[in-house]
Amino acid sequence: MTFAQTVAILMFFLAFFGLITSRNIVKSIVCLVIKETSAIVFFLGLRFREGILPPIGESLSQPLEYIADPLPQALMITAIIIGLAVTAVDIIMLIYLTHETGSTDWDEVKAKTKARVASLDYE
Amino acid sequence: MLTYFVIAPILIAVFLYLLSSHYVAKILAIVVQAIFLGFTFFLFMESREQAIITVVGGYADSIGIILRADMLSSAFVMLTAFIFLITAIYALNESWSKLYWLLIYIWQGLIIGIFLVRDFFNVFVLFEVATLIVAVLILFLRERRSVFDGLIYIMVNTVAIQFYLFGVAYIYMLTGTLNMDIAAAVISETDKSQLILPYVLIMTAIIFKCALIPLASWLPKVQGIPRAPSAVAAILSGLHVKCAVFLFLQFQFIFEPVANHDFFLGLGLLTAILSIIMAFSQDDIRLILAYSSTAQIGLIIVGLSTNNADYGSLYHIINHAIFKTSLFLTSGMLMQIYKTRDINKITGIFKHSPILGISILLSILAIIGAPLFNGNISKYFIMDDIDMWLYVVLSVVNFGTIAIFVRYAFMLFGNPKNASAVLMHKNKVVSVLLLGIFSLFTGIFGVWIMNFLFDSQLSVSVGSYIEKTAIFAVSVILAVVLCKYRYRLTKQLNYVQALDINFRGMCISIGLFFAIMLIFVGFL
Repeated sequence: MTFAQTVAILMFFLAFFGLITSRNIVKSIVCLVIKETSAIVFFLGLRFREGILPPIGESLSQPLEYIADPLPQALMITAIIIGLAVTAVDIIMLIYLTHETGSTDWDEVKAKTKARVASLDYE
Repeated sequence: MLTYFVIAPILIAVFLYLLSSHYVAKILAIVVQAIFLGFTFFLFMESREQAIITVVGGYADSIGIILRADMLSSAFVMLTAFIFLITAIYALNESWSKLYWLLIYIWQGLIIGIFLVRDFFNVFVLFEVATLIVAVLILFLRERRSVFDGLIYIMVNTVAIQFYLFGVAYIYMLTGTLNMDIAAAVISETDKSQLILPYVLIMTAIIFKCALIPLASWLPKVQGIPRAPSAVAAILSGLHVKCAVFLFLQFQFIFEPVANHDFFLGLGLLTAILSIIMAFSQDDIRLILAYSSTAQIGLIIVGLSTNNADYGSLYHIINHAIFKTSLFLTSGMLMQIYKTRDINKITGIFKHSPILGISILLSILAIIGAPLFNGNISKYFIMDDIDMWLYVVLSVVNFGTIAIFVRYAFMLFGNPKNASAVLMHKNKVVSVLLLGIFSLFTGIFGVWIMNFLFDSQLSVSVGSYIEKTAIFAVSVILAVVLCKYRYRLTKQLNYVQALDINFRGMCISIGLFFAIMLIFVGFL
């Protein structure tokens, strides 16, 4: 277990604690991003050794054991992009809800949105 | 070759989106879907002889993305193409923008991708993108309440899938590969104690996506969104959740040394029983169908966790996709006609529109497992040759399903008081009637189709078939009595109906589920 992985696991639990305690939607989204970052840090720290070279450019002429594993980095670029898209959609929805209800509190937003749609009928 | 099955729907979607005429695009969409269904049948016939493997980009096996079509996965690909064709016919006359058609075909590509891909990381990618697509599709007709539920849906899905990402990191650390087949070979030689954590991490996310009970609340929330298109709700419980069930089966094989079947057997039973109580207490027809979906998925998981009911469960996945799609699509039509989702206000469907009534009746008969229908065959093989106590519990579960849908069937009779004279579009009627007839067809030739799809040698014994038919008949009579006296339980049922779980509660239940499963798998 490398140092980066230990940090990642701590971040994971910290973010999870934040998710189950925060009453504010903004804080929940921040915790979500931290949780995702922890997974990325964990993945990147998988096969890290001291003094390792990046797998690009001139260092490729070195023997393979001195070069970092490129696969986790390729995967995590994908994960970062997906995380960006998901966070963007979260924030768009939050902005819409805040404009409608004037609040970012989970319970308050729920109370205000639910009161409008009490019955099962349309129109 | 398999790459095209994933990429083709997406490319077609973009092409149709760029086409200037909306009407031509919709017609072309149907034609292309029909041709695509033909191709998937061709794929199935090919993969019956030998599994087809494609490495995307031509890299080595351990680095590239592997797509593999064996009999099982190509059967599900065929099912996906069929359901999307039907929902395309259903949505033909809707005046929704082109965005709907773009997104729904991208979704099709993603679902097919999940069925074919044999790579741990790409499951994550496909599921995340599918989550985003679903979020946009349900918010498609924008409304305040749906944005709130959509936000909860997308956030809680992200929380769950991050457990999966952590599990994948562990797998990569242990095995040095993300290819499922190579990883499975390494895992079978790895020390058991090292496998527990990745297994539990991955299974937490997969069970969340399967919508089993402590983690099920997202599915009814999404499907209960007032203006979410019916086709989306139908595909969500017909196919999207089934991807997770399919992956559940795959991961149980991959993690064979630590795979725990008893835990999931218990979880499936718990899900089935609690969902039935929830479904029976609801008044919203969408929510009744949503909770009955989770009950049926519980049943499927039970079947996959016992020793010898695999074929029954796999066939039930297909059958459930067919009749639940039909029920969701008809619920959309009912909402248009009656302008309400309240089950108590909808009466007299038979008098208002006999063909719609017949197709609803066919689907109801299929889901409750009436003789000759497809639900009957798959439930027969799930309950075939199991322990006595399990047989009794599953009979009770089936009685619950019958009770829910006897109540649902009450809508068919009486006078259409609140019905408005909405024009019944022919394409909608044709699509739901087709599904109803198809569930009768897959019931009558059920055993033959199962042997064809799964290459099995199954047969029905007359004695136990008669016994099960007798139990079914008694259950129906009891269910009618129960529904007649349901009003006496109104107070208690309303209490159950008002149960709601918020975002924090969902996160806590994911964490608790993870902890409990870790203790169960690690120490017991």
